[in-house]
Amino acid sequence: MVENKKNVKEILEEIKEKKVKKPLYNPEAIEELQKNFDNWKDNTVKEADKQNWEITPQTVLGSEIPRELTYSPLNLKDSEYTREIGFPGEEPFTRGLHPNMYRGKKFTIRQINGFGGPEDTNERFKFMLKNGATGLSVIFDIPTVQMYDSDDPIAKGQVGTSGVAIDSANDMDLLFKDIPLEDVTISIVTHYPSNTAILFPMFLAMAEKRGISWDKLRGTVQNDITLEEVVRSGPEYIPPRDCFRIQCDNIEFIKKEVPNWNFINLNGYNLHDFGTSGVTEMAVAISNGIETLDELISRGYDVDFIAPRLAFFWSISNDFFEEVSRIRAARRLWYKIMKYRFKAKNPRSLWMRCHVQTSGITLTRQEPYNNIIRASYQALSAILGGVQSLHVDSYDEAYAVPTEEAALLSLRTQQIIQNETAVTEVVDPLGGSYYVESLTNEIEGRILSEIDEIENIGGYVKSIEKGWIHRKIANYFNKEHAKIEKGDIKVVGQNCFTTDNKTPPIDVFKYPKGVEDRQKEKIKKLKESRNNTKVEKALKALQDACEKKENIVPYSVECARLGCTEGEIFKVFKKSFGLWRPPVIF
Amino acid sequence: MIKNNIKVVLSKLGLDVHSRGVFIVAKILRDAGMEVIYLGNSMPQQIIKAAIQEDADIIGVSSLGGGHIALGADLIDEAKKENIKDSKGFVIGGAISPEEIIELQNLGFDKIFTSGASNEEIISSFKKIYESKSK
Repeated sequence: MVENKKNVKEILEEIKEKKVKKPLYNPEAIEELQKNFDNWKDNTVKEADKQNWEITPQTVLGSEIPRELTYSPLNLKDSEYTREIGFPGEEPFTRGLHPNMYRGKKFTIRQINGFGGPEDTNERFKFMLKNGATGLSVIFDIPTVQMYDSDDPIAKGQVGTSGVAIDSANDMDLLFKDIPLEDVTISIVTHYPSNTAILFPMFLAMAEKRGISWDKLRGTVQNDITLEEVVRSGPEYIPPRDCFRIQCDNIEFIKKEVPNWNFINLNGYNLHDFGTSGVTEMAVAISNGIETLDELISRGYDVDFIAPRLAFFWSISNDFFEEVSRIRAARRLWYKIMKYRFKAKNPRSLWMRCHVQTSGITLTRQEPYNNIIRASYQALSAILGGVQSLHVDSYDEAYAVPTEEAALLSLRTQQIIQNETAVTEVVDPLGGSYYVESLTNEIEGRILSEIDEIENIGGYVKSIEKGWIHRKIANYFNKEHAKIEKGDIKVVGQNCFTTDNKTPPIDVFKYPKGVEDRQKEKIKKLKESRNNTKVEKALKALQDACEKKENIVPYSVECARLGCTEGEIFKVFKKSFGLWRPPVIF
Repeated sequence: MIKNNIKVVLSKLGLDVHSRGVFIVAKILRDAGMEVIYLGNSMPQQIIKAAIQEDADIIGVSSLGGGHIALGADLIDEAKKENIKDSKGFVIGGAISPEEIIELQNLGFDKIFTSGASNEEIISSFKKIYESKSK
């Protein structure tokens, strides 16, 4: 049962009231400083700068938070070091999850890969590992993401594009051929709860066939309702309530059966890149986290059993200091929610662990090499924010999926930051900056207010059903587009500092040929060789579980073992749950 | 004087998941006074059928996922089969490589957009295509 019906904001405000104030700066010093500051502003600062003391940066995917000309202890006069900043590895985790951060464990270099058939992506995996990648991440092709088989007429011409085609557990086997599953952590970017409940069972069936016990497997699935019901465009959607239930079924099953696997990656990334502020990105993902934990607690689990394996995925965009501060703010806010709303006891439950990716929407087609610079700054801000793992986008992604050369350059970007710049030697190097601490406070407050807004609607799933989030996105990206169009948001090489020669001198990736036919052939052979009576029975058992509100994942694993295809399993979901039409707003 | 109520049918081509671009274009065209019908994710046959039913002037499809060559070809074939290739405009936008732009032009698309196109460019292209088709 959920004891606490109070909104998060209310709970955190009560806590704040109760605490004794131990200000970071002594009040006398602040008083003197205020005098000096007033004096300086009156006499030294130019009139024009006084008039424009506060400006609001105009950046792609920014949160429109006004900034002062400069920051001083006056901006932090209500701050308490221990309560608001603290030391790394200790509450409130503003400065990082670990006392020694990157000196202890470097951030994981995890570049996403996926194109063509499983055989093709397997080659790219090996290439990345050979060149020093420390984790793998796989993205699926459009039909796989949308849960149709490669031989479905709707998949025509799209098999193996934007990711790798996977139709059955046999393809999973080809995808991870010669990859030591016990040694490499693997992020399986399944996006939706529904396809997580199909593709992860295929991965498990493959591991089982290789004789690897599931507790040896380490990695992450994404499993996020936001991706399935909000961010995605697709022909068929199951209703949000059922989608949320599958998200929680996945978590419940994975936590019990694959204990070292991260069962959800609360995904702000795609929402942010679709079009929201960085504040909304985090408010939405955290709200989903809160509602998910409530649901699992109501299924009888202790918060400390579930919470340590929750992970987040953020998109890092252009406003350098906002991005650093945002990660610090989310880390502190998540800690407070876990401690005071959920009363978690396990220290790991208090951790906002995150993977981040540089922002795809900031990449331009014009002068594509500029994207290398953009992604490098974004990567640096993420590292200064203290993230756990990182993907750097490639410069050619406004054209197609990255070439091998471009993918290598993304890897090298991370390696250069990690090995040449020394930024990883000191924990939270921007901590204590008047500016960064003030911005961290401001952003935390704004995220909390948006969480409050979502709670007042009736929670996150309700906010999807009511179209609140869809409207919010449309408003944001239309406004942003208008600003880019007007030149208020500057995009170098696109709306300012443009050149006549827009044709890029770059190689663009070409998809391997023949993937669609190869996938179709494999499905045909599979359907001839598997035990179709058993397949029918397993699909029927899955349907019963869907309708009986039993956890569906064990049934889906059985389907995967018997060689069911993804499309066959998705059909069961559609039959059981019916279809939903998300609002279309533009 | 250009007729202002140009009718446009827009859709996501096939299974592509990315809709930000098509929504923004839909709004730009609507704000410019055109009538916009958004079909969501659709296959070429469905798109052509809807365009005929709606008596649309221009058919616009969006694809950032990589299926644009195969499905773009199908769309044009279907239009030819239904005898509307010459009377209606065909526009495609998305993540398209320079080589593919030429391929799509050769297939018969009237205009190919990639990211970074300005509102002005989009609106004037649609008007120009409409004019050339109604001659």
